[in-house]
Amino acid sequence: MNFEGEFELDEVPPEKAWVVLSDPIAVRNSLKGCQYITPMDDEFGWDTYELEEDVETLPEADAEVVAARAFRERQEYAALMQVGVGSVKPKFETTVTIDERDEEEFVMTATGSGSASGSSFSMESGMHIHPQEDGDGSRIEWWTEADISGRIAQLGGRVINPVANKIVNNFFSDIEAQMTDIEDTDSGVTDRIRGMFG
Amino acid sequence: MSSETDDIPEAETEYQHDEDGGPDPEKHCGHGRGGMGEGVKRKEDKRFITGRGNYVDDIKKPGMLHCEIVRSPHAHARINEIDTSRAMEVDGVVAVLTAEDLAAHELATMPTLMDDTQDVLVNDKVKFQSQEVAAVIAEDRYVAKDGAEKVAVDYEVLDPVVTAEDALEADAPLIRDELDDQEDNHIFDWDVGDKEATDKVFEAADVTVSEQMEYQRLHPAPIETCGCVTDWDPGKDKITVHLTSQAPHAHRTLFSQVSGIPEHKVRIVSPDIGGGFGNKVPIYPGYVVAAAASVVLERPVKWMEERSENIQTTGFARDYDMTGELAATEDGIIKGVRTDVLANHGAYNAVAQPSKFPAGFFNIFTGSYDVEAAYGSLTAAFTNTAPGGVAYRCSFRVTEAVYLIERMVKVLAQELDMDPAEIRRRNFIQPEQFPYESATGWNYDSGDYEKALDKALEMADYDHYREEQRRRIENDADKLIGIGISSFTEVVGAGPGKSCDIAGIEMFDSADIRVNPTGNAVLRVGVQTQGQGHETTFAQIVAEELGMDVENITVEHGDTDTDPYGLGTYGSRSTPVAGAATAVAARKVRDKAKSIAANELEAAEEDIEWDRGSGEFHVAGAPDRSLTITEIAASAYMNHPGSEEPGLEAVNYYDPPEMTYPFGSYIVVVEVDRETGEVDFERFVAVDDCGNRINPMVIEGQIHGGLAQGIGTAMMEHVTYDENGNCTGGDFMNYLLPTANEIPNFETGYTVTPSPHHPIGAKGVGESPTVGSPPAIVNAVVDAMAHAGTTHVEMPMTPDRVWENLAEAGLERDPAETVVFDPVGGDEGEPADD
Repeated sequence: MNFEGEFELDEVPPEKAWVVLSDPIAVRNSLKGCQYITPMDDEFGWDTYELEEDVETLPEADAEVVAARAFRERQEYAALMQVGVGSVKPKFETTVTIDERDEEEFVMTATGSGSASGSSFSMESGMHIHPQEDGDGSRIEWWTEADISGRIAQLGGRVINPVANKIVNNFFSDIEAQMTDIEDTDSGVTDRIRGMFG
Repeated sequence: MSSETDDIPEAETEYQHDEDGGPDPEKHCGHGRGGMGEGVKRKEDKRFITGRGNYVDDIKKPGMLHCEIVRSPHAHARINEIDTSRAMEVDGVVAVLTAEDLAAHELATMPTLMDDTQDVLVNDKVKFQSQEVAAVIAEDRYVAKDGAEKVAVDYEVLDPVVTAEDALEADAPLIRDELDDQEDNHIFDWDVGDKEATDKVFEAADVTVSEQMEYQRLHPAPIETCGCVTDWDPGKDKITVHLTSQAPHAHRTLFSQVSGIPEHKVRIVSPDIGGGFGNKVPIYPGYVVAAAASVVLERPVKWMEERSENIQTTGFARDYDMTGELAATEDGIIKGVRTDVLANHGAYNAVAQPSKFPAGFFNIFTGSYDVEAAYGSLTAAFTNTAPGGVAYRCSFRVTEAVYLIERMVKVLAQELDMDPAEIRRRNFIQPEQFPYESATGWNYDSGDYEKALDKALEMADYDHYREEQRRRIENDADKLIGIGISSFTEVVGAGPGKSCDIAGIEMFDSADIRVNPTGNAVLRVGVQTQGQGHETTFAQIVAEELGMDVENITVEHGDTDTDPYGLGTYGSRSTPVAGAATAVAARKVRDKAKSIAANELEAAEEDIEWDRGSGEFHVAGAPDRSLTITEIAASAYMNHPGSEEPGLEAVNYYDPPEMTYPFGSYIVVVEVDRETGEVDFERFVAVDDCGNRINPMVIEGQIHGGLAQGIGTAMMEHVTYDENGNCTGGDFMNYLLPTANEIPNFETGYTVTPSPHHPIGAKGVGESPTVGSPPAIVNAVVDAMAHAGTTHVEMPMTPDRVWENLAEAGLERDPAETVVFDPVGGDEGEPADD
């Protein structure tokens, strides 16, 4: 199944959008049903991982902390994601690898897969943040190619598509709110964080 | 008695019905004791309607564990690794089994009923979605589910192929790569009849017609899913399996063969069964896993499917892609039938039918018609879908055959612009032609097809609806009328041991009657009811044959430790085979009763007569010197004659000399909405002939249930897959079963043409309605559009599909053209002042 779309964020310049979309905590907070996104290091275990509560994001968070936890190229992440499709509400244990991060063009691509309750999926996703053509904001292009198997796939596109669209729409409106929370005066902060990336 | 065949001629003389087939006391039928022909209320219903049934899932044993199966989300995938460690850490999980564990007990694979080998748990490669990959055994059902969530399986996903047509393409992925000599997805080719003679008939024919039709994949979908409670007793080295089984004895033999446990140490108990319809004939991996777990853990283990597991993994039915052809004269005399079928068997060849019949009894496809030549061919293929091909309320592919021929007759009638009733009449096998040998080799026992058709036409007021149909077409009405006919013939009662076996075991059946000293009796049979009413109808046979009151007879079945060996209930075989065994065993008891009566009445045995009307034994010419069966039973235990053993009991194992051939004519009148594609049933007339009738009320119940399932087949049900092999019709949200809302009023009627070779002249009826009704329904819908050139509509005929067919024929009506509902609008719509 292919999903793709575009979002315009009038108030948010690409640089700022890039910083926020690079923060696993900010992404987690905007992604409905996502309980955590965390690097899959040696210590990580699905049954042992303890969720950190009340982690600060920008503007409250410390710039160094945000920069340190930002998505890294070729890093593998674990994400626990609960999706409700019809009567089925599986919790997907998902692994995501960031394949590419282009700090100049603001392009990020990732591959991932997950499984839960007799359902499984694999996906290739990406986003590209463009400067808005007639304004100071950004235009975010995104795409996902997903192979879905099992119980959720059995429900068919007429059930899956609205759920996927709802998750994506919620995500972008929420992330937009997070971005606009970061006042203009803080643009120095996002620049600083960008400087610390890589 | 010397042999069973000596009893057969009795069938012709002993039972008589009145002209309409009702019980006739004057002619030895219906004596008020609950014998043949009486509508006795079902004995089993008391416990069912008061909530006292005992189904497999009701069984709870001390220390019982629960089994949950981990299933593959992929239709075709290689398994690289299974990690069970996280599941084992879940509190309450006792064991996690994989193919490796089963291999240690030589249980990694199991034979199917068609001699294929199916993985119990996937060894290497998943071949269909939801296939069994691992099993979690836990203290509690919910814990087992939690554990199953934690089993991590690393799959390498492969391209699947889901249709038989695609599977036979040269570049299709090879599904069964574990088989040494399997280079493609082809399973077998089969053919029947005389090809050359048939081709000649077609070449010489005035008219030929051809139509392609799919009998879609269905699932029997019994309301009770499959399951078991397995209980290994290490003290006795014996396993007891409470099983949702339509064939407990055959399952005992197979269980023993698969597990290596000696057969006398295996007890199968099939308790109350909530519908089977063929779904509970095969052995499924879950049973084997639960049994293995019980033996290893030495504790009882319960496994019970969920609804979606039942539909997605256990035996489906049909899935035949058929081409039908008829050759005929200009006046509608059918000369030849030709058919070619592409059969989807799923990932394993696991069809459940007699082993010498790879295409079941599909070769009954000449139906009720006297045809000169016929030829059928079939190719079966593996696909990445669940294995199956069970006889869903059907005698082994008779359903597909009847659909083919009854649809084709309608196609021919349209081609020749003939009335579909008239064309049938011209081609029926005539009553005097029986026994009739068909072009494909069947030996029909008896029939009077025209009589049944005439009765149905009269009941349905056929001419009136033909007139109404014409009127609606002339008036360009919004709703069209269609009239569909099906005059089907079935072949049931498998079957003679010389031709019919399941996994090598001949398809006889058995009865064991024991009359107690106080005059009541227990009958044990080798078949197993799933709702058919055996506890009543078999008791009625004994009541009839021994002059006992039906109330005094208990029927037991389903326990292999106590019941005589039998092949089980499916394919409408219980009455034709076990019913015959019951009658023969009862007659053996009667013979011994005569000897006892002679002793008591101080007469010669040959002077003792039995009067069917009174049910009493008396001295010839002296009706006053008589004894009842109750008095004789007492004598059998308290004053038995020296010439006989004490006691009063008999056993019979009945090998039927031939199959039986029930038939009927169904007429369906529909109204098709040109705007919405909805189909409404105006009339639904079913005239059945199942030979002599044991219990008319039970028969009527069987007919009603089967017609409902026929409507489900024609209108709603379809197990669908997407191109990735995801089963998109695998739950009750997507696999629609008919409910009271979709079921019209049924009008049932009957004729009686006894089977000449059956001890009580009965033929079996449980499947006639599911077999006979789908073509009648489709013929009706096609008939509504026939004037615009429609020759076929595929099942299930959902409103959108019917609408598409209406549109293709140019008959669709745009909703915009119709008057908008407007309760107030316009001057005339103004409510009048008071």
